[in-house]
Amino acid sequence: MRKYFSTFLMRWKMETQYRGAALGGIICQMVFGLILISVYRALYMGNPQSMPLSAIVTYVWLQQAFFRMLLSSDNDLMDKIRTGGIAYEMCRPVSLYGYYYARIMAMKLMGSLLRAVPMLVLASLLPEGWGIGAPASVPALLLALMGLALGLFCMCALENITMGITMRTIDFKGFQALLNLLMTTFSGNILPLTLFPDAWQRVVRLLPYAQLLDAPIRLYTGETPLHQAGQVFLIQGIWLCIFVGIGLYLWKRNTRKMIVQGG
Amino acid sequence: MHFIEVEHLNKSFTVRKKREKGRFLREKSIIHALQDVSFHVDEGELIGYIGPNGAGKSTSVKILSGILTPDSGRASVGGLTPWTDRKTHVQHIGVVFGQRMQLWWDVPIIDSYRLLKDIYKVQKGAFENRLEELTDALDLKNLLATPLRLMSLGQRMRAELCGSLLHSPRLLFLDEPTIGLDAVSKLKLREFLLKENREKGTTVLLTTHDMEDIAALCQRVMVLGHGKKLYDGQLPELLSRYDTQRTIHVRYDAPPDLSSLPESCTLQKDGDNFIITYEPARIPTSDMLSLLQKAGAMQEMTAQSQNVDLLIARMYREMDL
Repeated sequence: MRKYFSTFLMRWKMETQYRGAALGGIICQMVFGLILISVYRALYMGNPQSMPLSAIVTYVWLQQAFFRMLLSSDNDLMDKIRTGGIAYEMCRPVSLYGYYYARIMAMKLMGSLLRAVPMLVLASLLPEGWGIGAPASVPALLLALMGLALGLFCMCALENITMGITMRTIDFKGFQALLNLLMTTFSGNILPLTLFPDAWQRVVRLLPYAQLLDAPIRLYTGETPLHQAGQVFLIQGIWLCIFVGIGLYLWKRNTRKMIVQGG
Repeated sequence: MHFIEVEHLNKSFTVRKKREKGRFLREKSIIHALQDVSFHVDEGELIGYIGPNGAGKSTSVKILSGILTPDSGRASVGGLTPWTDRKTHVQHIGVVFGQRMQLWWDVPIIDSYRLLKDIYKVQKGAFENRLEELTDALDLKNLLATPLRLMSLGQRMRAELCGSLLHSPRLLFLDEPTIGLDAVSKLKLREFLLKENREKGTTVLLTTHDMEDIAALCQRVMVLGHGKKLYDGQLPELLSRYDTQRTIHVRYDAPPDLSSLPESCTLQKDGDNFIITYEPARIPTSDMLSLLQKAGAMQEMTAQSQNVDLLIARMYREMDL
């Protein structure tokens, strides 16, 4: 376990080097957040929805703050797959799956913390109706954090599946574009899932994409009551097991069938 | 029981070609990268592995380092099969690929080394000692805090070598380690490798196109071509088979009369210089010299044996590679 933890720490440290990128991300996500909120405010002025506006605003800010957890890939790994360098990692006495899992986890976690902390501070300073609201309660906040952690584990496992498929297709663009579309739609990043029709929500909330941010945000805002938290964690846990299982299988198969030509 | 045993190893790759016009399916061709290759290596040997591009050298190194699975055949390194016991096997080997960097690109190399320490489970004390020793020998002391991306090629290669030896592997694979290095760096690297081989008894398998590397480091060479093993033995012996020609450059005061030269030698004119290539086995050098002296008053003369690269080129040609 130690080697994977060291890998995690090293990638974590490396992520702190990219503060410029983080600043750019903050500005981009802040602007996105403000635009989305303006849109919802306009919508509510004409036609108020069942969800209170303040809950939507909070939802948008949390989505924007942790955007990097949602959409980010290990560029090093994609490069290595493209050039064949991934094969050389097999000369290390590690499980490649675990090694890259640790890396993507560090990257998503540190990358989003660097962005989320300043963003949430800024968002809480905004005037009423524009800024992020406080969590429903302290236990709700703690449970939301737990849900976020579990969701992150799910996302990293999903990312490893994408990479496992990329190893076979060599180029990641097509498949990832499709995945990103599903991701931004069904994670609630573009349109909060809470605004989807109720019938849709029943299905969409069970999908893996909803596990990273939608599930913990609902805990945060109190939309999911505390006593249902166990149910949320169970769904997340099930997806995590499924994803890790598929990912491990894919990577194992790939490493056996690895082909590297030339040099 | 030898340290490395390779028996009847086969590996082929399928290469898909561009679809020709009017055809529905792409054509595939199969490249036999290794065909029935067998050899043994004992612990502590320093072996050179040569052959033209595409001969299968890298493929065999990749198989022995656990990256590729062969189609058929058996290989064992220290009793382990590289591709099935990968994780245990790679614990005892070090690999440097001249074309690929294995250390982390963006972080100071010392951080990469510390990570390697955990990955290979090296004890703290042993790690510190080994790091001290390697950074000393490879002149890396001042570079430890520098990320790989800020280093020159020679520095990177030394840093990679250090990284591959931190866990004191029993076997070291070097795939073109001197590619692109300047003369000083090359010499240093060779000196270091010899020392490592002698003092630690590390077995080294060296793949290279630089014949001077081989001449300086290896007693034993293996020649691979078209995926087959063509030679396995001492380097001087291999060279003596092809080292049959000598070249003499001469310049005369006045145009000479070289008509008396026998037909078995070749004559080329390069400005005022005459270049004569002959085989000492057919015309003894002393006869050759007296013939040249009779042809006119010599201004200057140099005699050369053939350059190793030319010999190898000739060998490849004669082996039809």
